[in-house]
Amino acid sequence: MTKNIAKTAIIAALYAALTLLLAPISYGTMQIRVSEALCVLALFTPAAVPGLTLGCLLANLIGPFGIHDVIFGTLATLIGVGGIWLLRKKPYAAPLCNVISNGLIVGFELWYFFGLEDHFWLAAAWVALGELIACYVLGVPLMKFLEKNHTKIGL
Amino acid sequence: MAIRDITLGQYYPAESAVHRLDPRTKILGTLVFLVSLFLVKNFTGFAFAALCLAAVVKVSGIPFKFMSRGLKPIIFLIVLTVAINMFSIPGTVIWSWWKLTLTVEGVQRAVFMAVRLIMLIFGSSLLTLTTKPIQLTDGMEAYLAPLSKIGVPSHEIAMMLSIALRFIPTLLEETDKIMKAQTARGADFESGKLRERARALVPLLVPLFVSAFRIAGDLAMAMEARCYHGGEGRTRMNGMRFRRGDLIAALMLAFFVAATLIIRNLPVY
Repeated sequence: MTKNIAKTAIIAALYAALTLLLAPISYGTMQIRVSEALCVLALFTPAAVPGLTLGCLLANLIGPFGIHDVIFGTLATLIGVGGIWLLRKKPYAAPLCNVISNGLIVGFELWYFFGLEDHFWLAAAWVALGELIACYVLGVPLMKFLEKNHTKIGL
Repeated sequence: MAIRDITLGQYYPAESAVHRLDPRTKILGTLVFLVSLFLVKNFTGFAFAALCLAAVVKVSGIPFKFMSRGLKPIIFLIVLTVAINMFSIPGTVIWSWWKLTLTVEGVQRAVFMAVRLIMLIFGSSLLTLTTKPIQLTDGMEAYLAPLSKIGVPSHEIAMMLSIALRFIPTLLEETDKIMKAQTARGADFESGKLRERARALVPLLVPLFVSAFRIAGDLAMAMEARCYHGGEGRTRMNGMRFRRGDLIAALMLAFFVAATLIIRNLPVY
């Protein structure tokens, strides 16, 4: 159990550290959160589900967007990454869960809080696009690496 | 992307009544304030909320200039919001060109949205500016504690959050080291198209993973060696305590919500 706590916590720290390091493009509508590529970790270990969720919570808590981002962003990650773990048998389709969940929930957040009226789909598509780039362009090469080495690095 | 530019969290160390409040009070207070901003229906309501917010900022001793830095990353979003709202609401036309029509109602709504947005950001950054991240996670643990009855592992969540907070700087340093090492070997993180730049991060992430999971293994061993066995019976070094200031803050908050609700129903502009 202790091992799981430590692993989950380090995944959370990893997510938060990467989000902070690449801060200028990690928040807001124009976001490409490189750290979202870490969602592929959920294909290999269930510890990634709470890990990435807590990481997102910390990153948003520290980030500039305030408490509503903590609530919505964390919820979006929880659902998205949970979906990836459930769909782990289909590794190429699974990251779509994260794309859809973030697109809809973070899109809703931006739409509601920024009063974008009838432009909900625009906000959702925009967030989903950034997510798609992070999850596939960076996520897939990472996934390929982890496929070969995940037992070796202690995942 | 230099590592020294990153201060973890936005905590502004100062001695003030707001800093001394219990984190539980501040978290609940911030949530109530943010929700009540959505109850505001007229500009008088915003003026009242802004006045109250300004008073709290004044008490907290945080310079206004420092606070307004929090707006910088979202200026683009504010401008976008204003632009979309200004031109998309039908009403009395002030100016029109091609498909763009500027209306009185649109301008009013744009200003309304921008004011609310700025207050939202100020309100919630006041929480992170006056509360250390570790206090924030302690406060969250307290709110999660009742959920442990229905099976939510609230102690474990809080434990993981504090470990993660402790290791963020370590991992940032590690990332910086790996970046420098890979740059010395010819990796290029700063140029190229978006796709190329994203790909360039793979040689950064792979060693980072290896190092992070090694840390996790060591940490688990260290915790077990010190007989960590979960939340039961653990005590804290700095417990949280409600003081008189928290009572005063709660009363002021109740007054604020009541006044907001009254102003909402007044026939004022």
